[in-house]
Amino acid sequence: MARDGIGRVTVEGVAREAGVARATVYRVFPGGRHEMVAATVSWAVGEFFAGLALEIGPVDDAATLLERGLVAGRRRLAEHEVLQHALQVEADEVVPQLASVMPAVLAFLRRDLARRLETERLRPGVDPEEAADVLSRLALSLIGTRGAWDLDDPAEVRRLVRGHLLAGVLADPEGAPTV
Amino acid sequence: MTGTAAALVDEWTTGYRDADAPERRLVEAARACIARWGLRKTTLEDIAREAGVARATAYRAFPGGKDRLAEAVLCHEAGRLFTDYDAALSTAGTLEDLLVVGVTGALAIMADDEVVRSVLAHDADLVLPHFAFHHLDRFLDVATELCRPHLGRFLPDDAVRPAADLLARVVLSLGFRPAAWLDTRDPAAVRRFVSTYLVPAVRPPKEPI
Repeated sequence: MARDGIGRVTVEGVAREAGVARATVYRVFPGGRHEMVAATVSWAVGEFFAGLALEIGPVDDAATLLERGLVAGRRRLAEHEVLQHALQVEADEVVPQLASVMPAVLAFLRRDLARRLETERLRPGVDPEEAADVLSRLALSLIGTRGAWDLDDPAEVRRLVRGHLLAGVLADPEGAPTV
Repeated sequence: MTGTAAALVDEWTTGYRDADAPERRLVEAARACIARWGLRKTTLEDIAREAGVARATAYRAFPGGKDRLAEAVLCHEAGRLFTDYDAALSTAGTLEDLLVVGVTGALAIMADDEVVRSVLAHDADLVLPHFAFHHLDRFLDVATELCRPHLGRFLPDDAVRPAADLLARVVLSLGFRPAAWLDTRDPAAVRRFVSTYLVPAVRPPKEPI
């Protein structure tokens, strides 16, 4: 898929590449081509976020997690060959597949953030689960699309995370530990 | 603002400023066709016939053709938000009131409008690619220009784009994927959401950060 593009991928091509019979491919992916593409996109997304988590490393607080996650996530997406090719050329086929995996990614990130927020000093009225949900949605959106933000600039990422994203959430976002 | 964003803002709102504008008739025709046949089966010929205009006119109004039809319809809904709610947005007395009106209106359109709901329920795979990754940049640019006159009443110039960017992302996300914990039809719940999470997030940070 990285070499030829998702649109050109066939069961025959994959069987040839893997050196197995077509029937073997159908045993692994009974749904054929569509299932193969869906599984590959899910796998690429899983690999992407697993790698991202490793790169972020052990972090206790939400501010540092978001700062490191946005910077590394943005950079890893830009460098990810399969996903980049797919997003540039084959968004119509890939984005719906991505959208079907995203609820799982969102749920994972939400749980992780909520767990951290529960141990931090929050502003009055803030619910850690709600805040984690809003933050997860925004973080994934920001990794996917840069919009108004330059995520390659550490000072801007700091302003985005502590001055905007966490401004309504943490009692003292500026005082949170620094990366 | 880029030329493209200016042109799109115009395209998205003209139809709603003038009820007799051909754009308005074409979008209404597109909505009628989508309601009747679904997005997948609707063609630009159907829309031209429904609107009583020449095919070429329909192709001019939807330059992206059928592939961009749903995007055009959804973008016109964004334009509709800023025309239908113009009075309420323009008279909001505080940033919080402004965001309550805007967020409530936008989420109501995404949740209640029959055509938008049907497109999101059945044809999200045709629509999502136009609102994700690099395509989302264009939507964020236009959303910024639509928000600018309103947010500009409460925020300094250079704070408008970051604020509109975050608001558009939150609204799209909640529209495409509603949150179980937020009942967008409950005005008190929306106001609490806006005042707790959105107002502090869109205000420019106190220096230095």
